[in-house]
Amino acid sequence: MMREKSEFEHLIKLSVGQYIPTGSVMHRLDPRIKVIMGALLVLSAIIIGSLISALILLAAVIFGLSLTRVQLKLALASLRHMAIFLVVLALIQIFTIPQLHSGASMLFQRGILKITDRSLISGILLIFRFVVIVLGLSLFSFSTSTTELIHSIEHLLRPLQKIGFPAHELALTAHISIRFIPILAGEAEQLMKAQASRGADFAYRKWNFIRKIRKMLPLLVPLFVVSLKHAHNLIEAMESRCYMGGKGRTSLIRLHAGLGDYLTLAVGCAVIASALLVSFADIDRTALEWVWKNITILF
Amino acid sequence: MTEPDIPVIEVRDLFHTYLAGTALEVDSLRGVHLKVYPNEAVGIIGPTGSGKSTLLHHLNGLIRPMKGDVLIKGTSIFQWGEHIKEVRMKVGLVFQNPERQLFEQFAGDDVAFGPRNMGFEPEQVRVRVKEAMEMVGLPFLYKDRLTSQLSLGEKRRLALAGVLAMDPQVLVLDEPTASLDPSGRRTLLSILTQWRTLGDRAMVIASHNMEDIVELADRVFVLANGKVILSSSTGDVFSHYDVLIQNGLAVPAVLELLHGLKKRGYPVSLDILTAQEAAKAIKGLYDA
Repeated sequence: MMREKSEFEHLIKLSVGQYIPTGSVMHRLDPRIKVIMGALLVLSAIIIGSLISALILLAAVIFGLSLTRVQLKLALASLRHMAIFLVVLALIQIFTIPQLHSGASMLFQRGILKITDRSLISGILLIFRFVVIVLGLSLFSFSTSTTELIHSIEHLLRPLQKIGFPAHELALTAHISIRFIPILAGEAEQLMKAQASRGADFAYRKWNFIRKIRKMLPLLVPLFVVSLKHAHNLIEAMESRCYMGGKGRTSLIRLHAGLGDYLTLAVGCAVIASALLVSFADIDRTALEWVWKNITILF
Repeated sequence: MTEPDIPVIEVRDLFHTYLAGTALEVDSLRGVHLKVYPNEAVGIIGPTGSGKSTLLHHLNGLIRPMKGDVLIKGTSIFQWGEHIKEVRMKVGLVFQNPERQLFEQFAGDDVAFGPRNMGFEPEQVRVRVKEAMEMVGLPFLYKDRLTSQLSLGEKRRLALAGVLAMDPQVLVLDEPTASLDPSGRRTLLSILTQWRTLGDRAMVIASHNMEDIVELADRVFVLANGKVILSSSTGDVFSHYDVLIQNGLAVPAVLELLHGLKKRGYPVSLDILTAQEAAKAIKGLYDA
C-alpha cells in the first residue's frame, strides 16, 4: 500500500534521467561515441520529415534501451509526464498547418476545421520526434555517468583548445554544476523540514502563488550561504590537492575506443543515415496517399 | 495532564522506503514499533544508516508513514490532517547539525520564527524568545547579534531555543552533541536535563554518544537495518555487550573498561554506567 509521499522529498523529482549502473554493453560503450550518436540522433530527429524514418529511429532507440538492461518502464516514466502536453501540441499542429499552407490534399473539412495530409503527418511526426528525443536522452543518461559525459565532452572539444577555447575549464564547470544539484536539493529539503517543524507551512493552499513565493524567501538566503560554503570547501579541497588547472593534467579515466566502439558508431550512423535518406526521398507521403486511396476504395 | 498509560508518541509497524518507485529505492525502516510515555526520556541508538533520522522525521509528520502509523497522543498522524502544524509544535524536532538551518540575520528573529508562526502577539513572542534564550543559557541581549557571528556551540543552543520557544511537550533531538567540544556538550546536556524538570515533558534522543544516552535516557531502543532489535531500560540495554558490538555500536567507555578488566580475570560487576560508580568498584578491587 502506498500513501501520499512526503511533501519534502525533492530528490524524487531529480531521479528522472539518472545514471543506472547495470554494467551492460551500452554502459561499456565509449562515452564519446554515445555523445556523438546522441547529438546526431537529436539532430536527425529534428530534421526528418517522414514517419517511416521516425519509426526507424524509434526502433533503434528502443533496441538501444533494451541493451542497457534497465527496465523500460523507467524510460517511459519520463514520457508519461509530458504526454498531455505532447498531444495538445500535436493537435495544434494538425489544425493550424492547413490554415497556413495550401496545396496539400484535404482529408477532412468542417467549417474552419481542416486537416490535410501534410498537417496530419506533421502532427504525428511531432509526437514521434519528442518520443525519440526523450527516449534517446534517457538511453544516454541511464548508461552514461556524468563523469563520463564530462570527460568525453572535454575530449571532443580538445581540438578547439588550439584556438584558445577553454575545453577543460568548461568541462570542469559543467561537472561541478551538475554535482551541486543533488547537494542543493538535499539542503533545501533539510531547510524546508526544519522550517516546517517550526510551524512554517509549505503544504496546502497550492494555488496561492504569492504566499508560496513568500514562504520560499527564507529558504533562499540560507541556501545561498550553504552553496557558497560548499564552493569554498570544494576550492580548499582542490587547492590542497594541488589543482592547477587543465594544463599537463592527466586523467584517471582513459577513454579508449576499440573496434567494437567504432563498429557501433558505424552501425549507428548507418541507421541515422537511412532514416534521413527515407525522409529526403519523401517516401511516406506517397505511402500515405496509397493507404488513404485504398481505404476510400474499401468503403 | 495526559494519563500515564497513553503514550505521547506511538509508532506502529512503520515502514519507509527512500526514493520509492525509482531505480534507487532504499528500504530505510522495516516495521518499527516504539512508544514514548509522558515524562520519559527515550534514547535511540543505531549505526549510521540504521534509519534513526528517518524515524525521527516521522515523529512530527515531516514524513508520512508509507505503511504503519504514528500516533501523537493517541491520534493517528493521518487524522491530524490540516492540523499537522499543531503536531509539529507539540513535538519539537531539533535536527542533526541544527546550526546550519538558522536562516534569520539576527539571533532573536530566528528564535521568534516558531512563536510567530503559532500566531502569538509581538509581546508574547518577546516573552517566549526571552524565556527560551535564557533556558539555553544565552543572554537575552544576544537577540540582536548576527546569527553568523555566534560560535558553533552558541548557534546550536540558539537552534534549540528556536524549538523550545514553541514550548513543545516532546523534544526530539537528532545527535544533539555531535561535533561539540566537551564544555559545549556538558552545557547542552545540562540544559536538556534542566528542561525535563519543567514537568510533563518527554524526550527522544538519537545519538552515537553512549555517554549522552546514559546521562539522558531512561529507556533505550536499538535500531539496526530499519528494525528495533533491542529495547529496554538504559542499564539493561548496555548489558547486551555482544549484540551492541556486533551491530557496530559501543557501550559507554566506563563499561568498556570494566569489560576489559573482567577479561583479564578481575571480578568486577558489569552493570555500572557512571565514572563514579566504576571508580568505587575499582577501588574496591584494589583494596581487596
